[in-house]
Amino acid sequence: MDMLIQLVTAFTGSLGFALLFHVRKEKLLLASLGGLLAWGVYLLMGLATDQEVVRYFAASVVLTVYAEFLARAVKCPATLFLVTASIPLIPGGSLYRTMECFMTSDLEAFSAQALTTVLLAVAIAVGMLFPTAIFQLVRRARIKKAPEIPGQERSPLS
Amino acid sequence: MEDHPYHFFSPDELDQLERIEEAGRANEYLYRILDIGQYMLQCGGEVSRVEDSIRRLCLSFGAERADVFTITSSIVVTVYARRFGAVTQTRRITGSAYDLYRLEQLNQLSRRICAEHWSLEQTEEALEAIRSARQYGFGVQLFTYALVSSSFALFFGGSLLDAAASGVIGVVLKFLDRAIRRTEANAFLSSLLCACLGGLLAGLAVKLRLGDDAGMISIGNIMLLIPGVALTNSLRDMFSGNTISGLMRFIESILLALTIAFGFALAAGLL
Repeated sequence: MDMLIQLVTAFTGSLGFALLFHVRKEKLLLASLGGLLAWGVYLLMGLATDQEVVRYFAASVVLTVYAEFLARAVKCPATLFLVTASIPLIPGGSLYRTMECFMTSDLEAFSAQALTTVLLAVAIAVGMLFPTAIFQLVRRARIKKAPEIPGQERSPLS
Repeated sequence: MEDHPYHFFSPDELDQLERIEEAGRANEYLYRILDIGQYMLQCGGEVSRVEDSIRRLCLSFGAERADVFTITSSIVVTVYARRFGAVTQTRRITGSAYDLYRLEQLNQLSRRICAEHWSLEQTEEALEAIRSARQYGFGVQLFTYALVSSSFALFFGGSLLDAAASGVIGVVLKFLDRAIRRTEANAFLSSLLCACLGGLLAGLAVKLRLGDDAGMISIGNIMLLIPGVALTNSLRDMFSGNTISGLMRFIESILLALTIAFGFALAAGLL
C-alpha cells in the first residue's frame, strides 16, 4: 500500500514540477511517467539490495536511458525529461534534514546526514553520466562520415 | 580600381576599411548569438549545451574559429576569421529559472539557424517570438504548488489530512512568493520568508487539528523550496568537467538549503 502511494505521488510530484518548469502537452505525461519509472526502479532494486546508493544509482541509469530515448523520439533536449523525472529521486528531504541538524548543532547527526545527502546526489549524477556518454558515442560513430566541425578540438571530458 | 578616376583610398586602405566593416557585422551577429546563449542558460540549459550551441552558431555565421567559455554567471566568446580578425564579447548572466519549454524552443532555433544559415533579422524575429510566448497562468501555478506540496506530504508518509494542509499552505506560499518577487528582493530572503511562514502555518494547522504531523506537512512545502535539483545538477556539472559552474551551484544550493532550515527553525522558535 505504501509503495502504491509512493508510486502515485512520484507521478503527481513529477507532474507538478514539470508544470512548474513550463513543460507542455504530451511531454508533461512523458515526464511524469519518467518520475514513476524512476521510483519504480528504486523500489524494485530494494528486492536485490538494501544499499541505498546502489538503488538510487540504478534508478538514475534507467531514467537517463528513458530520457535519452525520448529526446530522440520527440526531438527535444534530454534535460527536459531528466530534470523533471528525477524529482522523486533528488535528495531534497535529505538535504533539508542535514541543514536541520546543523541548525540544532547536532554535529554527529549532521555529518552522517550530510554524507548521505552528498552520496545520494553523487549516485544520481554519476548514474546520469554513463548512459549519456554511451548515447553520445553512438551518435558520434554514426556521423563520423560527415565533415568535422573545424575550429576547436573536443575536450576529452565532454 | 584602374577605371575609377578619383580614388581617395589606396587598395590597402580599402582592404582595411572592409575589414572594419566586416568586424562590425561580426559584432552584430555575435551579439545575437550571445542573446540566444544567455537565454538558454537562464532557462536552465546545461553549461556544456550552451557552449556547444554558441560555438556551432558562430561557425555557421562564418567564423573560422570560435572559443567559448561559459559559467553560470558569465559567457565569453572570441570568434576569429581572416576577413575580420578576432572579435570578442562577454555577457554577464544574472538570475535563472527553469523554463524547459523555452529551452526546447531555443535548442530547435539554434539548430535551424545552423542548418539554414538565417539572416540577422530572421534570427531576431524568431528570438522575439520565443521571448513573448505565453506561459502557464497564475491559476495553473497555484494548482502546481498545491499539487507538489500534497504529493510529497503523502510520498514521505503523511496522512491525507497532512496532504490537504500542505496543499493549502503551498497555495499561500505561492502568493507570498509572488509578492516578494514583485519587490525584486534577494533570492535568499524570499526563501527565508517562505520557509518561516510555511513552518508557522504547519504548526498552526496541527494546533487547530487541521493536520496530524507538522513535519509531514512541512516536507511537502520544503520540496518546493529546497534546491535538490540544483544540488544534483551541480555535481553533474563537476563530473562533466565544468568545475567552476558546478562549484558555484553547489555552494548556492547549500546556502539556500541552510536559509530554508533557518526559516523553519525560526518558525519553531516563534510557536
